[in-house]
Amino acid sequence: MDSFFQNIVNALQWGSFYALIALGYSMVYGILMLFNFAHGDIFMVGAYLGFFVAAGLLSLATMGILAIPNWLVLLLTVLIAMALNSIVGVLVERIGYRPLRDAPRASAAITGLMIGIILETGNLAILGAQRLSFPSLIETQTYTIGGVAVTNKKIMIVAVALFLMLVLHLFITRTKWGMAMRAMAYDFAIIPLMGVPINRIAALTFGLGSALAAAAGVLYGVAYPILDPYMGILIGWKAFVAAILGGRGSILGAAFAGFLLGFIEIFTATIFPSTFRDLIAYSIILVILTFRPHGLFGEAYSARLRL
Amino acid sequence: MAVKTDSFTAPTKRRLATFWQPYTRVAMLSWLTGALVAAILEQLVGRPLAFMLGLGKVPVLFGLVIILKAPLLIPGVIVYVLLIYILPIGLIARLTTKLGNKLAAELLRYPMLVSTVVHLVLLYATLQIWGNINDYRNLVLRLTLISVLITLSLNVINGYMGEFSCSHPGFLALGAYGASAVTVSLFVNDNLFGPAVFTGNWGWIIFPFSLILGGIIAAIGSLVVAIPSFRTRGDYLAIISLAFTFIIKSFIENLEFVGGPRGLSSQPDWANLPTVFIWVVVGVWVINNFVRSTMGKALNAVRDDEIAADAMTVNTRRTKMVAFMFSAFWAGVGGGLFAHVLRYVNPSTFGIQKLAEVLAMVYFGGLNSVYGSIVGAVGFNLLSEALRPLEIFKWIIIPVLLILIMIFRPTGLVAFKEFDVHQIIAPKE
Amino acid sequence: MTLLHVQNMTHYFGGLRAVYNYNLSIEPGEIRGLIGPNGAGKSTIFNLLTGVHTPTEGEATLNGVSLIGKSPHEIAAMGIGRTFQNLRLWRHMSVLEHINMASYAHITYGLVGAFFGTALRQKQEAEIEEKSYHLLQLVGADKFADQNVTNLPYGILRRIEMARALATNPKILFLDEPTAGMNPEELKEMMAIIRHVHSELGVAIFLIEHRMKFVMELCDRVQTLVFGEVIAEGTPDEIQNNPLVIEAYLGKDLDT
Repeated sequence: MDSFFQNIVNALQWGSFYALIALGYSMVYGILMLFNFAHGDIFMVGAYLGFFVAAGLLSLATMGILAIPNWLVLLLTVLIAMALNSIVGVLVERIGYRPLRDAPRASAAITGLMIGIILETGNLAILGAQRLSFPSLIETQTYTIGGVAVTNKKIMIVAVALFLMLVLHLFITRTKWGMAMRAMAYDFAIIPLMGVPINRIAALTFGLGSALAAAAGVLYGVAYPILDPYMGILIGWKAFVAAILGGRGSILGAAFAGFLLGFIEIFTATIFPSTFRDLIAYSIILVILTFRPHGLFGEAYSARLRL
Repeated sequence: MAVKTDSFTAPTKRRLATFWQPYTRVAMLSWLTGALVAAILEQLVGRPLAFMLGLGKVPVLFGLVIILKAPLLIPGVIVYVLLIYILPIGLIARLTTKLGNKLAAELLRYPMLVSTVVHLVLLYATLQIWGNINDYRNLVLRLTLISVLITLSLNVINGYMGEFSCSHPGFLALGAYGASAVTVSLFVNDNLFGPAVFTGNWGWIIFPFSLILGGIIAAIGSLVVAIPSFRTRGDYLAIISLAFTFIIKSFIENLEFVGGPRGLSSQPDWANLPTVFIWVVVGVWVINNFVRSTMGKALNAVRDDEIAADAMTVNTRRTKMVAFMFSAFWAGVGGGLFAHVLRYVNPSTFGIQKLAEVLAMVYFGGLNSVYGSIVGAVGFNLLSEALRPLEIFKWIIIPVLLILIMIFRPTGLVAFKEFDVHQIIAPKE
Repeated sequence: MTLLHVQNMTHYFGGLRAVYNYNLSIEPGEIRGLIGPNGAGKSTIFNLLTGVHTPTEGEATLNGVSLIGKSPHEIAAMGIGRTFQNLRLWRHMSVLEHINMASYAHITYGLVGAFFGTALRQKQEAEIEEKSYHLLQLVGADKFADQNVTNLPYGILRRIEMARALATNPKILFLDEPTAGMNPEELKEMMAIIRHVHSELGVAIFLIEHRMKFVMELCDRVQTLVFGEVIAEGTPDEIQNNPLVIEAYLGKDLDT
């Protein structure tokens, strides 16, 4: 029974990563009707940006310029990494996707895959093959609640993730820009006629998604401090699957399905050998999609790739 | 500015066209003869010539590999390529223009098969002699040929039928493992399957059988993707096919009797050049036959307008199922050949990187086109080898190139072009 | 013997009643018209009879064989050829390939023939091509045979769609607004072509039209559909003078 609650905590933590990344996929899909296949690698870039920001802030202290308490370093790291990564996202949109806005969707999908490979390889080329270790910013403390061990890191990760999702929700429902985004998701063709600047909205969407991915990256670095250029592939694809599962373009669905995927993975790993984890997770997704083609929260429509 | 460039390019273009004009009348027969002569010439004088030009050894792939490794050798490479390939081929093409056309016409008086076989024999002889220079060239040649088959098989789904399928690495894996399981368990003493069952020289009959078996396994596996495709298409099918690739990879990782994540090795060395050549030719021939028949054109009809296809008596479900199983079968055969060329496979061979590679070949070459698949596979493989000296930067340059192609030619270089064998082998005047 | 027989066909889209209690019987060789204002459910009737949708209630038979529950390609093979209101052509295929495709159900060479190019396949493909050329000649579009459909004028595309429908060897041809978007010149040509096809092939024709004049000149009998219900049926003269029909078209010039 204890291990059951233990698993719930773990599932919530992994679900947070998946959900934060899945939101990026879903927002871009909702607005531009394309999958940003480079998003997993944007997450990776976010984690690396976080690493450099954190290392830089810490070195301020060692150089004797300014000693910042660790919790503040973490907070600043998250915020600065989010800001920097949103620039990366905007650049990716500007260079890789905007020229292809009217091209067949398959072309955009391939471009996405290629941008992902460029980001991975670029990282490898610049930083070399050694793995980086994310600085430990907070001491791990374990609280035992009713026999269940919970670390402060896990609590923080889930809390930050939920907080960011709330902020995103408020942004989308309460601000002018958020409204423009929703309008564009509703009808891509008409909205430019209404004076909504389509390119700026697209950039904004990519920026927001990338910022969330950067947050996920920093949080991931806090939990699993080893960074390598290919870290974004597997987690990115899984988050992508979560976005699909939630229903393409559905923000709530993406968040929910992210957590759901976390639960599926953690609990299959308790029943089956851990090597079966991916196999079973993907099989469940395949079955769900075969019977609910539009995802859990998606609206029924059939999009097709144009040639 | 624009006027200036025009006035500069127009005469150049005209001059080029005048220069090329006599070559448009050269029959394929002459071209192939020229290529064969070039290959023989290289065999005879390639080594001393390369030595004289200071290249050290014969440039393996038209000097593409050397260009980036040792830029100072570029002039030597150019001279070499000119002397060994371009001049002899050009010369023979010009000299035998009349004779070649006459012979080609003569050959066509028999059933077309005769002429086709003659051309194929010439092509094979050229490749065999050319590939004889060293093992590396031979390996690249075989892998490129297999790439043609794999690319074309993916083109059936992604080009001819217009679905965005990501399941090809899965089909390749099924074929590779299916064929390898048979050959390794029956013919090799290894730790996984124990001692060999057969010791005799049965490879010539068992190998085709095992490749076909691999293809059939892949075709059956493809039903996982084909059946959902009845109801939905587009993005959703792309995701299902992607999940399929992950599932197969993960499934094989958990299959201990084929080595799990460590992979399967020591496949018998049966995939030599003639074997690969024959399989690829047969595969391309059958696929081309299929896509040019009215039944095969049904794929295009389903792609361009499924409702209209249905209303014109096309059984769309059957069409989709046939397309998937057919494509998967050839992908499986390609996977089996691939495994026996490398003589080692593991599950991570068939992941996202492989997917990016096959998609790159299809979309680089051109959708809905056999020519496109050949151009894509050959171009991609040559480029990939040429960029090898750049190490990891290769994986920046290739994606950038592909993005540029997607922006400027979204359907690829030679898309929507019929591959008409008769037209290829016919006399040109 | 009645060729096409429909009895009490009703269809709902969710809560919306699109077609109500529809009856129809068409004799071999007859030309029948279906008119009605926009949104009356005319195209829905076509879609119900060709298997795109399955009617909520009712029965429909072709030569006594039920059409209900069959898929579109089965119904097409049974002998109902159709065109579409908004052209549905295959944009990467040539004109001749369009017509060939509609012979799909008549192919017997099977996958073996498709894969290996057997003699039977060569023979059948040659026959199909010959038939396609003949049909293109019939609609006067044979000189476009090798062209891609994206480059051709609208009037020609309508004819190609008709030739394609004829290649399924239909017993009855469904034409969904064959003159939509045509100028008066093209309209006249289309009328001549339909007459020509009808006299050459003897096929029955069931057509939806907006242009009264066209319907009145061509059809033996006409039905008027309003809000999914037939309000009048009879010869063109009877329909033209029927007060209910005039009311349904109130405000509209009957000659446009």
